[in-house]
Amino acid sequence: MSDQPTAAERFLNGILPENPVYRQLLGMCPVLAVTSGMKPAITMAGATAFVLIMSNTLVSLIRGLLKPHLRILVFTLTIATFVTIADRFLAAFMYDMSKQLGPYVPLIIVNCLIISRAEICASKQKLGTAVADAVGMSLGFALALASIATVREILGSGTWFGIDVLGSGWPAWGIMVLPPGAFLTLGLLLGGAEWFGKRRAAKAS
Amino acid sequence: METVSSLILIFIGAALINNFVLHYFVGICPFLGVSRRVDTAFGMGLAVTFVITIASFLSWVFTYYILRPGAPLPLWVWNVMGGAEGATVDLSVLSYIMYIFVIASSVQFVEMYVRKFQPKLYESFGVFLPLITTNCAILFACLEIMKHLQDPTQLWGLHEALVLAIGGGVGFTIAISLMAGIREELDLADVPEALKGAGIALIVAGIMAMAFMGFTGVDRGVEQALMALIGR
Amino acid sequence: MSDLPENTTEQAENVSMPPAVNGEAPGDGMAPGDAAADSASSLPEKKSYIGQAWLVILLAFCFGGGLAFVQTTLGPKIAENKRNETYSVIPTLVPGADQESTEELVVQGADGRDVRVYKAFSTAGEHLGWVIPARGQGFADVIEILVGQDASLETITGMYVLAQKETPGLGDFIRGEEFQSHFAGIPALPPLEVVKADPTETNEILALTGATISSESVTNIVNATIANLREVLATRAGSNAPE
Repeated sequence: MSDQPTAAERFLNGILPENPVYRQLLGMCPVLAVTSGMKPAITMAGATAFVLIMSNTLVSLIRGLLKPHLRILVFTLTIATFVTIADRFLAAFMYDMSKQLGPYVPLIIVNCLIISRAEICASKQKLGTAVADAVGMSLGFALALASIATVREILGSGTWFGIDVLGSGWPAWGIMVLPPGAFLTLGLLLGGAEWFGKRRAAKAS
Repeated sequence: METVSSLILIFIGAALINNFVLHYFVGICPFLGVSRRVDTAFGMGLAVTFVITIASFLSWVFTYYILRPGAPLPLWVWNVMGGAEGATVDLSVLSYIMYIFVIASSVQFVEMYVRKFQPKLYESFGVFLPLITTNCAILFACLEIMKHLQDPTQLWGLHEALVLAIGGGVGFTIAISLMAGIREELDLADVPEALKGAGIALIVAGIMAMAFMGFTGVDRGVEQALMALIGR
Repeated sequence: MSDLPENTTEQAENVSMPPAVNGEAPGDGMAPGDAAADSASSLPEKKSYIGQAWLVILLAFCFGGGLAFVQTTLGPKIAENKRNETYSVIPTLVPGADQESTEELVVQGADGRDVRVYKAFSTAGEHLGWVIPARGQGFADVIEILVGQDASLETITGMYVLAQKETPGLGDFIRGEEFQSHFAGIPALPPLEVVKADPTETNEILALTGATISSESVTNIVNATIANLREVLATRAGSNAPE
């Protein structure tokens, strides 16, 4: 057990080195769908963080009781419950945002990131490490969402968080808030992340 | 005849205009992961269509009779147990859990069927068949059906739900097969190192999404043509 | 040997599922699990499925209780939010109407389908007008609107776009104040028409630049709804005392 990563390592891992979107390529559906503006992107990041942290907490607490062939069932049940809670919470207290995010909040259930963290980390390590892992991954996910949303919102509407930043002289690139803009932005940013990663690896060696 | 025309519109909407992959961004993981060769991509598309149809059928049945606000079965149980008259029973908070288990069961069922009757296909799929459970497209179809079963004055029948599911699956198959065809060609092209793999695939997807945006308004034209055909 | 799992589970419940502790007595959820766990250790292999599944069954009970709690506390708030979406616009669509005095009715239109309409009253109980939800195909996707009419059904008092997915920057201006103001205070008949030059007749609506089809779609929806419900709404007019 001592060769498993520590809590601090798990936490830092999740932000950049094993970033859920840029390195692991998980959870692309919400990343493309809700990043047309910063507000929905951050709301989605918050909802995912809630589900991930609660799910890792619960799974880590009951990890001694999990039977190997039933564990996926337990993970799925846990995640679905927390997503329902998050969805209801949003519908009650942030109704307009809930309508804008639409079906993408329940789609957190099939976000491979959460079930993979439960499988890889929470079911094998103690509570503190699992929570650190969840928080780190959530921050990494939020970082990815924010980076794409920033590009799309500024180029596509000239605003950031709804605040006008480019002035009326900028002809808004409508395509950026539409589906093609999402794919192109993510593809180019992924390429950028790859390039940075390779340069750092080349410098290290 | 109006029902048929609305079904055609739902199908075209789900398959082309609001393509599940290129418009709603669901099913991206297999779209990027299994689109290297056209034959595997097409097989994956058909498997997803199969699973979506079964899962949507079960979802519709469960949602219509049990999970929507004012559903008949819980109301009957409530009355049998002596509950207050005129109450509305709303079990929709259990919807997501129900859907994910319906999907997992459908995938399990399809897996057993394929393993028994098409063993070679089963082997070529490998781990991707159980991974269909985490395919956003199927849960998305179930959520769309749930959305149309909320308002008691405008309920979708089973036929509309199935047409949406099949349309979505067909749209997914079209998108993934097109992507596979393009990527087979891309293998011979000079792609920058950093963009190889997911990067260039996403850029291609963006251009495909732009192309599919050209389908906007097709349903209006089809609707007008159908209306003219039945003489209205 | 069987004590350890039970204690850990209780801990798990109390630490991570506070809603469950409030929503259901832990004793109820535990009892079947206890019995099953005990029987599993003493019965032959084939009974072990239930024994192995006791955790899933227990979690199902806990989560069910938690979700029931969430639904009981948050359900009313969500229903109120949904209701407010329509109700908060009623005073704008039918000038002088009081939001709280509104009545909901389900009527059958000329096409045979049921429609839920809202009857707008003033605070004094006078029937001021109708607010009718309508939907139809727009350029990109379905457009959902609310049409306001006065009590005599002669005038359109307003139009409000609830949901649309038209082209950003072009068609989505249908939800802007300017386009919606075209519909305020014009006669309901003859049917409205969309024109590209400045309107000369009272039933002409100026199209949005670059979004003729979106403008036409909204106008068609308004016309269709008015025609569909004209007869049945005329029979339901009048001042009922609101509750």
